[in-house]
Amino acid sequence: MPRKSKKLAAERQLFEVEARPHLDALYSMALRLTRSPVDAEDLVQDTLVRAYRFYDRFEAGTNFKAWLLRIQMNTFVNRYRRASRERQVFDGPMAVPVGEGVMSRASMRGLTDPVGDAQRRLIGREIQHAFDELSDEARAMVLLADVEELSYKEIADVVGCPIGTVMSRLHRARKQLQTSLQKHAVQLGIIEDDDTDIEDPIPLEAFRSRKTVKS
Amino acid sequence: MSCKLVRRHLGAFVDGELDPATQIEFERHLEACPGCQEHLAFESSLRRQTRESIGGIHAPEHLWGRAVRRLAELDEARAEHTSLIEVRPMRWRQTWPIAAAAAAILIIGGVVGLPESAEYQSAGMLQDVVNLHSQALPSDVQAEAPQEVVRYFQGKTPFPVQPATFEEPGMKFIGARYIRVGAQPAAALYYIRDGRRVTLLLFQSSEIVRNAQRTHVGGRELYYHDVGGNVVTIRQHGGVNYAFFGDLDRRVLFQLAANARVAH
Repeated sequence: MPRKSKKLAAERQLFEVEARPHLDALYSMALRLTRSPVDAEDLVQDTLVRAYRFYDRFEAGTNFKAWLLRIQMNTFVNRYRRASRERQVFDGPMAVPVGEGVMSRASMRGLTDPVGDAQRRLIGREIQHAFDELSDEARAMVLLADVEELSYKEIADVVGCPIGTVMSRLHRARKQLQTSLQKHAVQLGIIEDDDTDIEDPIPLEAFRSRKTVKS
Repeated sequence: MSCKLVRRHLGAFVDGELDPATQIEFERHLEACPGCQEHLAFESSLRRQTRESIGGIHAPEHLWGRAVRRLAELDEARAEHTSLIEVRPMRWRQTWPIAAAAAAILIIGGVVGLPESAEYQSAGMLQDVVNLHSQALPSDVQAEAPQEVVRYFQGKTPFPVQPATFEEPGMKFIGARYIRVGAQPAAALYYIRDGRRVTLLLFQSSEIVRNAQRTHVGGRELYYHDVGGNVVTIRQHGGVNYAFFGDLDRRVLFQLAANARVAH
């Protein structure tokens, strides 16, 4: 084997060792984004090829998983080219305002810490339905924060936006998930339809400016 | 601190993303406020349930193997062309046998006139095509976004560049870059077919078909040069040469040349 191939093989091995533990995270993200197992596999493969190609640009000491997810996100966005349009709907003036207390207290109680496997499975399925109804962008936020448990900083790197934007997008995504979940849960009779007790929304900007004044 | 504020930012609190001072204020409020505790319990519980019902997906068994094979293929292609560079003599006249051993050449091209000058120029250009393939310079623009490719070449080449497409599913476009063939600005488009690299060069020049032979494949007129046992094929389209070079056999290259969709 020529020296060059040996060198490449060694480098590839290093990459493989580092990337392998994140395959499930990549696939899970890809599947949730594309909603198709076939597309998800292609997306993961393209992601790994790109990551390998740019492996020398990875900064040692930073989060490799976040780096891989960022590449996957970019690959997805480039391929589907829907992101910019969707973002306008998600963050922009057309965005549906979400309040603070989307759920009534009774609904919250009905969904908190379900007792028994049957109840848990039922709610789990409703969470999946609610999740599937979210936009690509919102699904990505929920996945990165709640499933992959990345920090806001890492999420900001993955999706390429400021941390403040992560905060508001994530908030919005979670509230949308809750709204949709509540709707499903009411339909299934898991919880009562009870929309009293919903509080006024308070804009994030107001909180931020209060925070700034305080510090 | 109001309940409203606490509930509004409970998500960030659960995530541990508030600044430490605020985090402490939140904790203090929560200790004393049963209403907010209920919200907190819900928020945490929902988080857990979301993770359980959406997470926990495992990649299919074969996926890792498939991806790793792909990486190995790319490395093979890389190793192959670097070893070519290492042995390549400087003078183009001496490189023919090596190039010939390395690969068949196919040039799909479109040229109209045949000016006087040019046996030497033609051979030099053919050699450029061979060299540009063996060097396999990195792509400047990636294949994932075909529109990027079009934009990338705007103002660089005197003709619009669109990656040629192929009906053959094994033919995969991987990237492109700006380059020169002879003195002409050119677009290099890189493809992979069954793990073998194929380079397609687009440039304008009438000399390249000088003394070329002619054939018809699938109703297309192709020119070709036999070069040390390998072949250069030329197809005319819109006054631009499409120069296609790959480690593939002659028949396959002819087919690719004839079937390439090169509209622009």
